[in-house]
Amino acid sequence: MSSESAIKILVVEDESQIRKFLRISLEAHNYIVYEARLGEEGLMLVTSLNPDLVILDLGLPDLDGQNFIEQLREWSQIPVLVLSVRASETDKVQALDAGANDYVTKPFGIGELMARVRAILRSSDDSSNSATVFESQGLHVDFTTREVTVDGTAVHLSKKEYTLLRLLVSSHGQVLTHQQIIREIWDSTHQDDVHYLRVLVGQLRQKLGDNPAQPRFIMTVQGVGYRFSIL
Amino acid sequence: MGKMKPLFSTNTDKKKYLFAGMVVVATISLAFLVNRLMPHASLSLLFLTGVLVVSARTGLGPSLLSSIVSFLAYNFFFTPPYYTFEVADDGDVATLLFFLIIAAITGNLAARMHLEIAKRRTSLQRISNLYEFSRRMSSAASESTVLESLADHLAKSLERPVQVFTMATGEDEEPEQRATANNPIPIASDRLKLVWNQGLVNSEAAPELHAIRLATRTGVVGMVVIDGILDDEQLELTKSLCDQATIALDRTQLVEDLEQAKLVTETEQLRSALLSSISHDLRTPLASIIGSTTSLMEYGDSFSTTDRKDLLSTVTTEAQRLDRHIQNLLDMTRLGQGKLKLQREWVDLHDIISSAINRASVFKDKVTINTSVTNDVPVIWVHGVLIEQAVVNLMDNAIRFTPEDGVVTITAIDSGGNLKINVCDEGPGIPEKEREKVFDMFYTIRQGDRGQLQGTGLGLAICRGMIAAHGGTVTAKDGLQGTGTCMQIIIPIEIPEN
Repeated sequence: MSSESAIKILVVEDESQIRKFLRISLEAHNYIVYEARLGEEGLMLVTSLNPDLVILDLGLPDLDGQNFIEQLREWSQIPVLVLSVRASETDKVQALDAGANDYVTKPFGIGELMARVRAILRSSDDSSNSATVFESQGLHVDFTTREVTVDGTAVHLSKKEYTLLRLLVSSHGQVLTHQQIIREIWDSTHQDDVHYLRVLVGQLRQKLGDNPAQPRFIMTVQGVGYRFSIL
Repeated sequence: MGKMKPLFSTNTDKKKYLFAGMVVVATISLAFLVNRLMPHASLSLLFLTGVLVVSARTGLGPSLLSSIVSFLAYNFFFTPPYYTFEVADDGDVATLLFFLIIAAITGNLAARMHLEIAKRRTSLQRISNLYEFSRRMSSAASESTVLESLADHLAKSLERPVQVFTMATGEDEEPEQRATANNPIPIASDRLKLVWNQGLVNSEAAPELHAIRLATRTGVVGMVVIDGILDDEQLELTKSLCDQATIALDRTQLVEDLEQAKLVTETEQLRSALLSSISHDLRTPLASIIGSTTSLMEYGDSFSTTDRKDLLSTVTTEAQRLDRHIQNLLDMTRLGQGKLKLQREWVDLHDIISSAINRASVFKDKVTINTSVTNDVPVIWVHGVLIEQAVVNLMDNAIRFTPEDGVVTITAIDSGGNLKINVCDEGPGIPEKEREKVFDMFYTIRQGDRGQLQGTGLGLAICRGMIAAHGGTVTAKDGLQGTGTCMQIIIPIEIPEN
């Protein structure tokens, strides 16, 4: 993925009208767009085309989006951005826990979708580059020395707080579900202890000088999880 | 039953004595006939047989009477000296004694047997009554049936007035009369309340009445009031009947609760179906519209002219689709609230079909539409807009399900006072068992697959509602040449009254 022009995106969506505007807009950004109407077709295209990103509608005619992600994750780590009209938070959480990287709720503006696409592509790029430093909006994280500074001032974080921050910035822009974070920081026996996480996030925000009502760094996605600010 | 009755106390007793007399007379006549053929000692056996017959059929009294008369007749007519009551032989005295003893023994036996049979018969009657009652109780579908059966049955078995009360719910809690058998029992309501509260058998508040409360697991649900005092046996019977009725009441209550719960669940399901339908069907076109417009606004400058036109046409078609969904929902609400008023006018069916074709699905260009409306189809007296909407809904489905380059056929014929409109497609067809279900609200073939066919699951329900308003029917039939589906509208052709 050296140059943007080589980036291939597979759109799996049964609504032809939505496929159309996605294709036109994505192509205008020099992405190469492939389309699939059905889930099975989409899975086959993933194997043959090896795209860099899959944009997946959760309500497919032949295959539940959930199943699509589970089947895909058995052999591939290709990033998946989920489109869903479902209002229910649990559907999104399920999709994310199954391995989706992020989601956009229909109806959505094209700007929001493009931002998500960029964030996912960037972070999958980052991980392959294994960056040693993260820099955004005055926050500076040095992964080798574990030093964290906000607007030039050093911040001392506990081990758990640092793990949480690293987790969020390393997939910045993407939402992480409560379960995903808990699994990383504690272990799977604490799956239901979301309040531990809330306390930890509160502490981290305080140390970073982040206002929970208008957070600069850590955004709450109600009922789903947290994401590091995309800007 | 079970009590000794005085002689001649009833008509049946008189009959028994009469029967005894007749048997004796018959025996005497027979004895005259056979007198020549057998020795007189043997004749005593004949009389004995008569006595046996009488005692077996009647009781002690008649059999004793018949034995005495038989002996006297035997003595008078058939033992020397003839035609006197003198006894020449001591053996004849012994005969008399035998007659009496036999009559006493068999008469007693017979009486006991009769008594036993009568007892059996009553208990059999009681058992079959009870059985009948429990059968009625177990099949009773509602509280009121249970209460009425109880009152009826109690009144019949006790032979006295019976009333059943339940507590009226609401602010003024007062026992409410629910069922009554024989004559109503005069009882003041304040006394009734007292009896209800005390709930005693034969309570002080009403000493001349019997009150038995019906208590289920949820508490006292009713009370039986019986006029007069009951003996132990009757009380036992009453209690066991009340117990059965209580069980039945418990059961009917459970059934009612279940029904209620089912209704709540169904309403809940319908509501969530409606919500998910609205959220899916309204948001999907909106997603295309918002996506297309934001694409144009943000990146429009870099798009080619064709792409820009494409996006704009998306906005138009999706907005029209949205409008159709909203129209459907409005139609459904109108139908559901029963506010649909037919505004009949003279309409040409050709017009309806041609404008329906114009209005039908935006994808109609991908199929060929054949119409065949015979010329004898008259101008019809209907609410034109509704019939058109019904045909549009059927055509939308037909076009949607027919593969590309397929044929959708619309025919209309006048068939003996009925107008038949067929809309046939070349789609996958509807399985036999789903042909009725497709008319249910929010039902779409291949559930969970709404996006592909873009159905609301309302179209057919609306179509049926609109045709039903004209007294007609819509049914799904086999397609032409064995493939696809034919939707058939049948409307009775009506003529205005004036």
